[in-house]
Amino acid sequence: MLRKIKIDWAGLARIQPLEHPFPPPERIFPGIDEIDPQRFPDFLDEIGLVGMGGGGFPASQKLRAAAGAHTLVVNGIECEPGLTIDQSVLLHESLWVAAGAVAAAKAVGATRMVLAVKKDSTLLAELALRYGEFEIVAFSDRYPAGAEKLILEKLEGRRPPPGVRPYQLGYLVQNAVSLRAIGRALIDGIPVVERPLTLAMPSAGFHRNIIVPVGIEIRQVLEAYRLPYDPCIHFLAASGLMMGHEADPETAVEKTTLALLVLPRDAAWREERPCIRCGACNTACPLGLHPYALVERIRKGRTGGDPFRMQMTECFLCGVCSAVCPSDIPLVQQLERGKQCL
Amino acid sequence: MPMNAPFLRSGPRAASMAAWTLCALLVPCTAYSAIYHSPFVFKLLGYALAGSFAETLFALAVQRRRKLVCSGSALTAALLAASAPPATPFLPMLFAILVAVWGARLPWRGAALRFNAAMAGRFFLMLAYPAAVVAWGTAAPDTISTATPQELYRTDGFMLDWHTVLFGRVGGSWEGLYTLVPGSPGETWPLATLLLGGLLCRAGIVPWRTPLAFLLSFGIATACLGNNPLFNLFSAATVFTAVFIVTDPVSTPMGKGGQVAFGIVVGAANALIRNYTYYTEAVVYAVLLGNLLAPWLDHAAFALRGRQLGRRRPEQ
Ligand code: SF4
Ligand code: SF4
Repeated sequence: MLRKIKIDWAGLARIQPLEHPFPPPERIFPGIDEIDPQRFPDFLDEIGLVGMGGGGFPASQKLRAAAGAHTLVVNGIECEPGLTIDQSVLLHESLWVAAGAVAAAKAVGATRMVLAVKKDSTLLAELALRYGEFEIVAFSDRYPAGAEKLILEKLEGRRPPPGVRPYQLGYLVQNAVSLRAIGRALIDGIPVVERPLTLAMPSAGFHRNIIVPVGIEIRQVLEAYRLPYDPCIHFLAASGLMMGHEADPETAVEKTTLALLVLPRDAAWREERPCIRCGACNTACPLGLHPYALVERIRKGRTGGDPFRMQMTECFLCGVCSAVCPSDIPLVQQLERGKQCL
Repeated sequence: MPMNAPFLRSGPRAASMAAWTLCALLVPCTAYSAIYHSPFVFKLLGYALAGSFAETLFALAVQRRRKLVCSGSALTAALLAASAPPATPFLPMLFAILVAVWGARLPWRGAALRFNAAMAGRFFLMLAYPAAVVAWGTAAPDTISTATPQELYRTDGFMLDWHTVLFGRVGGSWEGLYTLVPGSPGETWPLATLLLGGLLCRAGIVPWRTPLAFLLSFGIATACLGNNPLFNLFSAATVFTAVFIVTDPVSTPMGKGGQVAFGIVVGAANALIRNYTYYTEAVVYAVLLGNLLAPWLDHAAFALRGRQLGRRRPEQ
């Protein structure tokens, strides 16, 4: 019996507080006096910043590549459906986010700052109070609106070519949580030792945004809220419903852990059946690709040819095709393999 | 066994899709049975069971797998039964179902070229038992009975009242000469069928592009050939085909563009065949022709998308 994982979307529209269940970290970092484009990336390395939107790419490299960009985009659109952590951070820690954004913009020389958030009138009104110096752009709240590619499409008016990174078009897209970390280091002298994340257990109606120390065992986080986690009926998904992975409670919270979700095992169980060629994957793909045709080629090893390579480059492994497939074919896992054939 | 992302799912599951379509098909058939006091709907269920059982046997013999409920094959059999005259004898129908399930549906699984199994069975029925396919209704003298008023329209320019066409209550007599009896059960209630099709689209069980393209292209082609498009749309198997036949996932293209192209080709072919030949079952040929084109359409759509993406790449 298959059941869908229920998400209380209505409840998520509420603006939630940000909780601190664990003691705050100590100040260990001296801070900097002036933002120097040459030295700023090194500063990011020193505080240990990686892309906190889930990418995990060292932020210093991204900043160096983006030197000379004209626009800084603060990505405050949740990367995954059902999470509210980006918007919580934007609302409750706006000082840090804004400081981080201004610093990053200075370092690359960007003159325009855009705040990308999801379309929600209460949220927009609140943000307008806090981010006066930013240009606020509202995006659809349907997954995967938070992908860099789709943000650029809206800002540029057309979709960027396959394989082109935002910095090649003069944009630096940074996640709100990454910018918060920069601001935290600048203002408080605290390196990246905290991770804001969404902790949720939909079956128990539990959904909180919390700040936890990086490196803490996941088990401790669950215990702090006394979540009724039972490994026989539940499993732990780290980082989200669409692009996340199953995590072991004994492992530690990483810098890229967007969320910890306790989900019922039977609801996520998938058994692959033959493709019925319904085309749901094609219709659902936000980039208009042909996922099953790609997967067929990957499975048969026919990975040459321009149409294949172009589409494979364009795909950003959002997982929408897998989610809608009525036959539960693990399309996105195959596409990941296909990425390696490029 | 680790769980694989995405953990979220949306839309219907494959097993229930065919079952829901079958339920939708049962609605007009039950109405037909109730109004014309015919045991047709029970026959239909029996045929559906036979189709399902045929797949069970196939799974046991070929795949060495036990599979009890096979809604896909049940749907194939039911569609076949609903598009044929209700009076088709049992044996020809059974053979047609076996041909459809064992010949057209199961062995081709996973292949790119697939034929619509119900239409393949229908084709077999037309070749092997031409007499059975046109045996609409009773054999009383002076009775004209066709699947729908379509043939009368062709030969005599005959037209029924709108409400009879729309609501499927075909009956009574024509010019005091001919008794009219209702025909093929699946095709009798165009309006209700259209409504059910809309519901199925909303539930995400059938795509909407294929049927819409089919209906539009058929309507326009018919109008261009000088026939009354509305009458043709609402009579004969047109709506039935749009909702139940061209939406069959396995034998139609997967991409959006491919689906539209498929609908256009089948609709236009249907109108042309109907106008220029004496085959009354134009739909069967049109759909099988479309099925032949489907893999090619898919391939073309894939290459086209790749080309579009390539063109966006800046020349450096
Ligand atoms: S993962 Fe699937 S839906 Fe997402 S971009 Fe790639 S092909 Fe499209
Ligand atoms: S959604 Fe799944 S079953 Fe449908 S065409 Fe795509 S891969 Fe095949």
